[in-house]
Amino acid sequence: MTVLERPRAVAPLVRDRRRWAWGLGAVALVLWSLAGTGALTGDVLNPAGLSQAGRFAAGAVHPDLSGDLLAVLGGAALVTVAYAALGAGLAVVLGALGAVAVARTTWGRRRLGWTLTRGALAVPRGLHEAVWGLLLVNVLGLDPWVGVLAIGIPYGAVTAKVFADLVDEVPRGGHDALRAAGASRSAAVLYGLLPPAAGGLLAYAFYRLECAVRSAVVLGLIGAGGLGNQLSLSFQSLRWPQVWTAVYAIALLCLLADVGGRAVRRRLAAPAQAPAGVLRRDRVLVGAVAGVLVLVGWSAWYLALDVRTLVGARAREQVGHVLAAAWPPAVDGELLRRVVALSVETLQMSVVAIAVALTGAVALSGVAAHPGPGAGPGRRVAGVAVRAVLLVLRAVPPPVWALVVLFVFLPGVLPGALALGLYTLGVLGRLTAEVVEELDPRPRAALDALGARPVGAWLVGTAPRAVGPTLAFALYRWEVAVRDSVLVGLLGAGGIGVLLSAETASFDWPAVATVLVAMVLLTLAVDLVSARARSAVR
Amino acid sequence: MGASGAGKSTLLGVANGTLTPTDGAVRVLGADPTGLSGAGLRRLRSRVGTVHQQLDLVGPLRVVHNVNAGRLGSWSAARAGWSLLRPQGVEDVVAALDRVGLADRVFDRTDRLSGGQQQRVALARVLVQRPELVLADEPASALDPALADTALEVLAGLAADTGGALVACLHDPALALRHCDRVVGLVAGRVVLDRPAADLDLRALEAFYGVTR
Repeated sequence: MTVLERPRAVAPLVRDRRRWAWGLGAVALVLWSLAGTGALTGDVLNPAGLSQAGRFAAGAVHPDLSGDLLAVLGGAALVTVAYAALGAGLAVVLGALGAVAVARTTWGRRRLGWTLTRGALAVPRGLHEAVWGLLLVNVLGLDPWVGVLAIGIPYGAVTAKVFADLVDEVPRGGHDALRAAGASRSAAVLYGLLPPAAGGLLAYAFYRLECAVRSAVVLGLIGAGGLGNQLSLSFQSLRWPQVWTAVYAIALLCLLADVGGRAVRRRLAAPAQAPAGVLRRDRVLVGAVAGVLVLVGWSAWYLALDVRTLVGARAREQVGHVLAAAWPPAVDGELLRRVVALSVETLQMSVVAIAVALTGAVALSGVAAHPGPGAGPGRRVAGVAVRAVLLVLRAVPPPVWALVVLFVFLPGVLPGALALGLYTLGVLGRLTAEVVEELDPRPRAALDALGARPVGAWLVGTAPRAVGPTLAFALYRWEVAVRDSVLVGLLGAGGIGVLLSAETASFDWPAVATVLVAMVLLTLAVDLVSARARSAVR
Repeated sequence: MGASGAGKSTLLGVANGTLTPTDGAVRVLGADPTGLSGAGLRRLRSRVGTVHQQLDLVGPLRVVHNVNAGRLGSWSAARAGWSLLRPQGVEDVVAALDRVGLADRVFDRTDRLSGGQQQRVALARVLVQRPELVLADEPASALDPALADTALEVLAGLAADTGGALVACLHDPALALRHCDRVVGLVAGRVVLDRPAADLDLRALEAFYGVTR
């Protein structure tokens, strides 16, 4: 091009050091984790299992649709739904109470109290639902309360934190004006803070109900009944067509929960217009809330919950016994060494899982996103197929994927990591596709219009805008994955979950206490690193 | 020229091959874009440069990458990817930015610039693309009067350099008379005015707007 005059001296290119440091650190972490799980060295494949894997895969196209099995699965689905509804209901009640205890609004400038109550929430949050299930079954015995509490306690802690944040984020103008006009504290909160936050609170409550369906399936795997239990039974007896029927039933249930929850949340985000001067409530929302309340009541009846079990003498005696036995936690060198080694293994498992899931999600994001209006039929069919595969990937709980992966891999940490990666791919693939769908199509279209090749246009026009939100989702899923890798371990695929399962089985409560402390610390550390990294990619 | 909705942007879209006409034929630089696909269409498109009304820049990228995007028609995918790590052809980019008075912002993030600065980045992009046909949709809408004149001079100079043409949609009659040889007026997709700019005066053009508004 013709340069009219010598260009002025320009400021040199300054790279964002913080991002480069995080990027290089992440690459190093993934390589270290791959090496640690044995993926880079040694034999990991088990070719002899290929035929079994083929028979398993063949079941996908001819699931067992006999009336008997469908009746059994229908009953099991009701059990799963009942656990989910009660667990989520308990979580919302606990969350609402807990939110009062951890909101900045309550503590004002008293930072110490706020920090301490927030910190206390990390303990129930740091333990997976299945871990709670395992602990509670030792206290309450085989009782439906175990499943309800196992979902309700950790969910309640998360809900308390989110509810408190939602209320704290409401602009304070209205509240402060009411206080200045002489309203009491509770009245000011009721009129000035809760109404603006109500939509967000309700939306989050419904989101928790969706998540609870998945958790109820997982608890079924460790004995709480329902679809997870049926899946586990069919798997143990190697009846692949039955396994696939259960998988499809779970996928259907998750899909229904997703669609219902999303409809309610969309309604809350864009409320229907009411005619002026008429007090009219949104019928869909009132119906949804009333429906869930009825569902919770029915669930309590269906599972035959009895409050006396919770407050009875036997439960109190058991709790007292376990707590007394667990204190002080075991600190002998041999145990601590194992705990540290297995914590590292768990961490590596979660890192490999996220790396696998992120790679797959990025590769599939273009096809998984809903196509624009100009797309051809081939692109549409491919999109539906990929979205269906992602749905199945996230419908099957990670421990079941571990059993599938074990057909073709030798036992170890790697199959656990891959199983967790497959499950996370199901979730992350959907999230990444949504990121792509929400991008403004015009910058990319402008590059196509100036004759750019598709790969170049994607690299320059699409990828730079999608990378931030995608990495943020991946980091958030890493926090979930490190909790889930404990679950995979509980069912035998390596990591610290194996140790917990062994120590609970032998009633070694001091050792159990040590393992639990390690789990909480591990999840806290991952949460901290993930939050820092997310602020760097923003 | 024409009121909003008269079909100006549609005309430019048909000319750069992003829109397919429902009726009639179109020839751009001697070729029919509706009859081309794949590499042939890409080659034709790389000879047509468009400055869009809505800017269409990639916000999170540095300015240098958005300007370099004008060369994606001739770059391989590998070069496009490498350039994101090590910016290629920075001298040409700085020269192009200098012509629109933005050389000192070459390594800034594009979404941190003001609307007018972003519009000038879009101008620099079409400058490094060096197309034979320049299509400009309201290229001066976010610029002050002095910068608006500069923008049209730069675009007209680019067209003259490559021996091609500039087709610009403008709202400001004075700007059109100062920088264009020919003025075409559209109403509801039909040509109602087509005269050399020398035959028109400001009052006649303003009257045209007054009728269609």
